[in-house]
Amino acid sequence: MGHEPLRRLAAWLLLALAPTALAESQRSLNLVTWDGAYVKSQVLGFIRPYEQARGVDVAVLQYDGGIDEIRNQVRAWNVKWDVVDLELFDAIRACEEGLLMEIDHGMLPPAPDGTPADEDFVPGTLTRCGVGNVVAATVVAYDRERLSPRPKQLEDFFDVQRFPGRRGMRRSPKVNLEWALIADGVPPERVYDVLDTRAGEDRAFAVLTRLKPYIEWWRSGEEAVRMLETGVVSMSSVYSGRVYDAVQRGGAFEILWDHQVWFYDVWGVPRNGPNQDQALDFIRFATSTASLANQMRYIPYGPVRRSAMPLIDPEVRRLLPTAEENSRTAVAGNAAWWAENLERLTRRFERWADRPVMVPRDLPH
Amino acid sequence: MVGAMVNRCLRLRSLCARLLCARAPVSAALLAGAAALMATPLQAAEDTQAEIERLKQELAAVTERLARLEEQLARSPQVDAQTPQPEAAPAEEPLSVEVLSAAAPGAEREEAVAVEDEPDIHIGGAVRFNAFFRDFERSSESKRGESGFDLFRLGIDGEYRNLLISAEYRWYPFMDTLHHGWVGYEFDGGDQVQVGVHKVPFGILPFASHNYWFGVPYYLGLADDYDLGVKYTRDDGPWNTQAAFYKSEELGDPTSVNRYGFDLVRQGEQQNEEINRFNLRLARTFGAGSGCEHEVGLSGQRGQLYNADTDDSGTTWAAAAHLDSRCGRWNVQLQAARYDYAPKNTAGVDDSIVRMGAFAAGYDVVSDADVLVANLAYNFNVPWRAIDQITCYNDYSRLFKDTAGFEDSQLNTTGCAIGVGSLFTYLDVIQASNMPFFEDGSLAGGGDDEWHTRVNLNIGYYW
Repeated sequence: MGHEPLRRLAAWLLLALAPTALAESQRSLNLVTWDGAYVKSQVLGFIRPYEQARGVDVAVLQYDGGIDEIRNQVRAWNVKWDVVDLELFDAIRACEEGLLMEIDHGMLPPAPDGTPADEDFVPGTLTRCGVGNVVAATVVAYDRERLSPRPKQLEDFFDVQRFPGRRGMRRSPKVNLEWALIADGVPPERVYDVLDTRAGEDRAFAVLTRLKPYIEWWRSGEEAVRMLETGVVSMSSVYSGRVYDAVQRGGAFEILWDHQVWFYDVWGVPRNGPNQDQALDFIRFATSTASLANQMRYIPYGPVRRSAMPLIDPEVRRLLPTAEENSRTAVAGNAAWWAENLERLTRRFERWADRPVMVPRDLPH
Repeated sequence: MVGAMVNRCLRLRSLCARLLCARAPVSAALLAGAAALMATPLQAAEDTQAEIERLKQELAAVTERLARLEEQLARSPQVDAQTPQPEAAPAEEPLSVEVLSAAAPGAEREEAVAVEDEPDIHIGGAVRFNAFFRDFERSSESKRGESGFDLFRLGIDGEYRNLLISAEYRWYPFMDTLHHGWVGYEFDGGDQVQVGVHKVPFGILPFASHNYWFGVPYYLGLADDYDLGVKYTRDDGPWNTQAAFYKSEELGDPTSVNRYGFDLVRQGEQQNEEINRFNLRLARTFGAGSGCEHEVGLSGQRGQLYNADTDDSGTTWAAAAHLDSRCGRWNVQLQAARYDYAPKNTAGVDDSIVRMGAFAAGYDVVSDADVLVANLAYNFNVPWRAIDQITCYNDYSRLFKDTAGFEDSQLNTTGCAIGVGSLFTYLDVIQASNMPFFEDGSLAGGGDDEWHTRVNLNIGYYW
């Protein structure tokens, strides 16, 4: 009789502990990536298959790039982002700042024919702290039903007299400065040399200043698509892969491939995180030949593994930024240059962007 | 035995977790054993049979749940995390463009991140100082200019879901007062309702001038005026509609001149106050987003003039047509307005004037008049990195008085507004003819017909 309350307590504790223990056994991973059709392609291409294969619950968080949040989490040793899809220059910056863990590329799966990963990946897509996932591009897209004649070259994007209407541009110096110089006559191969000089910087900003009254800024790739779909702009810079998704929804959009700017996205793992083994396991899975090929079924970006290309339907291959007819004037974004100059130029760019062109309606009083 | 196990579990919770879940068959057996152990002695010395039955049922349910999990675990592939998996996600279906549309948006996933639902509150303010020279003040000339504290203000702007709030309070050396304060609701279509003290929708908005001193309409209560009421705002493509009803002036005290916006005030024999006023403003913007926008609009207001001496109400109305054109870096503002006050004064009180007040001062204003505004401004492309904005302007406004013998009032301000980060500076040359605050100028009769000048430098820090 005297032991009865103790036994009853024990029984209840067991009952209480059982579900807690079950919950702890379910592994999870916080994955941070971009928005719109891109995250859709990742979810269907390899995130859901990974969840099924590993029994891991992947929480997909969306962001607009940058490394500020990673810096905050890593420095506070309160890392909630387990694996992040970064633009290459951000990955380089974050790695140099010691915000990402170094990745041993030997852990990556070989190609189906046994080719080692470091030979299978496109050169430059494996970095000290990053593993490449796609070759994407920033292009100009337009609504063919709104523009007549249709733009043929990058210079047309900057010509609001012949091609009237507002222009969508990412609120960032990246790509905009390169395009401004190219439209002003700088040969693409000299763009970064020119931007390295004060006069070159000023020249790029001067070109953008002429266009500024017509610019609508976007921050996420999906915003750019929405501005085209709603007719807010007649042309916009946009991530190339997003356009096809918009076309599938009924938009009459065309891509102007002239002077598209290529960029790579890479996976990175923030330092000091509690889930690094799981994060590496995910990267291993997500960058396999099959996973990359599977993702390309949902978005026409170039795979970073050569072995994935033969698995892609020829019709889709025609739509890739790396397709021969699309890439004749392509500019390879210089991630190393941007990693070095982004912070400085972003400060100037933001201040420049905030300066009004028209007389402000609401002066402070 | 069970007690010992529980104690160990309390100390080694994570170990137990693994035991219970990763080795589900073992834990199921343990639970079943525990149930059996408990059941026997409990039956021997138990208070109620019903409780035993309930415990048995709960244990059975847990056992069943564990069995299900054990089954799931058995079905899951055993993965060695260290082994490269070259063909982890085989592409089984044929690849084609068509499948691009087959996917569900990421946002539809159950794991999609919830949108943050927190109030968006901004608290801001400003502190400003003036340095000025007045050619109509001997001391100003003797001192080679004057200077002083202008104002300190604090404000809040907030948004939570569809609810809005905005308020600002100002401290001047000679008075402190509410600038505005309202709560609002924004409907899904963008329509908005504001209740409280808010800006009266009349003429060019938000300001019918570019400079620090404003133009003639401000001193007539026909620009940048704030009253107490309810306002509805709606945008339909290029059209903007604002309709409002104001029960009274903003303070509820028509005898006070310690206010920001000019209103009729009760002083001396002038005992009129504005009540029950309706406002309607319609505007259409041409070329929105083209870099060359032209807003044309019509405004009207009609209300009552309550006279505290006669306890009777007269009427008042005003109407305006405006053009606000922003083309490239140029801005042209044109506005023509007419107003009329028809008070019910006591016999012998002059009906040709009404009394207005604000900024701790009151003055007479002609009862019927036309008002003209013609402003031109240019926003420079600043070549210097340190300066964010230079907008220069010439703002001209004139009051054409109906009453014979009353000289017109005019105000012309030439100047520039310069923005450097959080610092904002107005440098104005203000020339006035027959305007209050300039010698003996008057918006009614009398006054003088001379031009007076005030050079004003206003430096403000805004946050």
